[in-house]
Amino acid sequence: MNLGITRLMLAAEILKLRRNRTIMVVAFLLTFGVVAIMFGYDAIQHASNPGQNGPAGGLGGFGRAVKALGVFFGLLAASLIGTEAGTADISSGVFRDLVATGRSRLALFGVRAPAAILVTCALTGLTFLLSIAVTFLLAGGSPTPSVSVILESAGWILLGNAVVCAFAVGLGSLTGSRGATLVAVIGWQTVATQLLLHIQSLGSARDWLLTAGLGQLMPVPGDIAGISMAGGLAVAVVAAWAVLPTLIGGWRTHTTDA
Amino acid sequence: MTNTPIIETAHLSKRFGDRQAVFDLNLEVSRGSAFGFLGHNGAGKTTLIRMLLGLTAPTAGTMHMLGRPLPEAHATVLARVGAIVEEPHFHGHLTGRENLRVIAAVRGPEAMGRIDGSLRRVGLLDRGDDRVRTYSQGMRQRLGVARCLLADPELLILDEPMNGLDPGGILELRTMIRDLVGEGRTVFLSSHLLDEVEKTCDAAAVIDRGRLIAQGPIDTLLAQDRAELEIGCGQTHLALDVLDGHPEVINARETLDGLHVVLTEIEAAASINTMLVESGVPVFRLEPVRHSLEQRFLEITSRVGEVKS
Repeated sequence: MNLGITRLMLAAEILKLRRNRTIMVVAFLLTFGVVAIMFGYDAIQHASNPGQNGPAGGLGGFGRAVKALGVFFGLLAASLIGTEAGTADISSGVFRDLVATGRSRLALFGVRAPAAILVTCALTGLTFLLSIAVTFLLAGGSPTPSVSVILESAGWILLGNAVVCAFAVGLGSLTGSRGATLVAVIGWQTVATQLLLHIQSLGSARDWLLTAGLGQLMPVPGDIAGISMAGGLAVAVVAAWAVLPTLIGGWRTHTTDA
Repeated sequence: MTNTPIIETAHLSKRFGDRQAVFDLNLEVSRGSAFGFLGHNGAGKTTLIRMLLGLTAPTAGTMHMLGRPLPEAHATVLARVGAIVEEPHFHGHLTGRENLRVIAAVRGPEAMGRIDGSLRRVGLLDRGDDRVRTYSQGMRQRLGVARCLLADPELLILDEPMNGLDPGGILELRTMIRDLVGEGRTVFLSSHLLDEVEKTCDAAAVIDRGRLIAQGPIDTLLAQDRAELEIGCGQTHLALDVLDGHPEVINARETLDGLHVVLTEIEAAASINTMLVESGVPVFRLEPVRHSLEQRFLEITSRVGEVKS
């Protein structure tokens, strides 16, 4: 498959996602909307009682926005978009027609995750720009992040979104069910993971949770998992959460009856 | 190469668990024809199509399409095949044109250039920018045909394409199929609408419970090993007496306005007419009985009794 066809297929995959108004509106609200509300709320709090509440911007505000985009609300948006990318062709019945073109099933599968990542990152990127603007405009004399922290944070958000997208695409391609995949991905990341992180008796087994890996790599101050591990292990954990579901989803796409 | 069948299967079988969906199927479809693939619901029509398109793997046997072996040459072969399997599916939130873009992107840049032409050909150019969820069933079928045309196909495989179409839509589709065949393409049409196959196709095959039980040109399938006559006449009792013992008459019975006569060959009709008239029987109509594909289909699928009961 040449680069021209890959580009066309990627554009078609992005088209399917961005023209889905419901998903795009919800994903926009979960990223831009939530961060805007967060900053707005902090700004009002600061204005009403500056002594008690710090400024909305500055390093603190930036850190909150980065966490929201990297693992919390950004994760929800990535789950939504990744699930749609992984299941849309199967649930609509179009997958059969795509296979009947003779194009390799792995090629059909291969453009799903990149398209989902690009669409998610367009939304989180826009929100990240808003965060940077508010960080500096509403710093109120408090410290602001350096360029390197901003770049590292952008990379970390991209990483978190990409991994969750790949996870959702892989699982979606495995199940073919939008509902089941959404519940599984969001349930796992927001409920099951949080419960498992708090079970001390699991010990180092908790290191293999995605949130633990992402938490270790987070470039802004704070803690999202309460677990400390070596950087190399964190990279391996995060990579595993992207690669394994992708392999399983690819295998399923390749072998299933269309 | 051009004389080779465009579709050829040998001893093709497919089993789903305990159920034998297709068994030992030997099918040949000639190039440049409209070929009807007939069978009751669940007879194995769609299973064969799914195997040809690589949607499911056969359990045994071999397949060739466009003269190339399958599944080895699927990528090359399917690039020149357009297909609708069961019913055409689309992304409802996309427009007709966008749905074609999705498939054209997978087929390649040449297909992208055929989108408007395909929409025009099926009469959807002015509705191409409407979302597919607003389309009627008939419009979806036409959009499915447009999607097939993106490949500039040598072969179109249409699975029950008349489903959901009103009489006008059926007529349009029939005309389109004949036009496509006129351009040198082959149309493989699976259907249980026998009348439509008879009107549209040059040749047909009949599948029953996974087994191919007849195939050939429509005329050959309709040909009978004996001739039948409807004779409109008076004095039917006298007529029956006259015909009794005639060497060419196998069977004769009275009908509402005359006789139904089974002959060894249709050429005997003239001598029978002469005999009846010379015996004083007033003959006012004499007409050969032509069986429809539907009757032949029911005969060869051994289900006449079931239908009557």
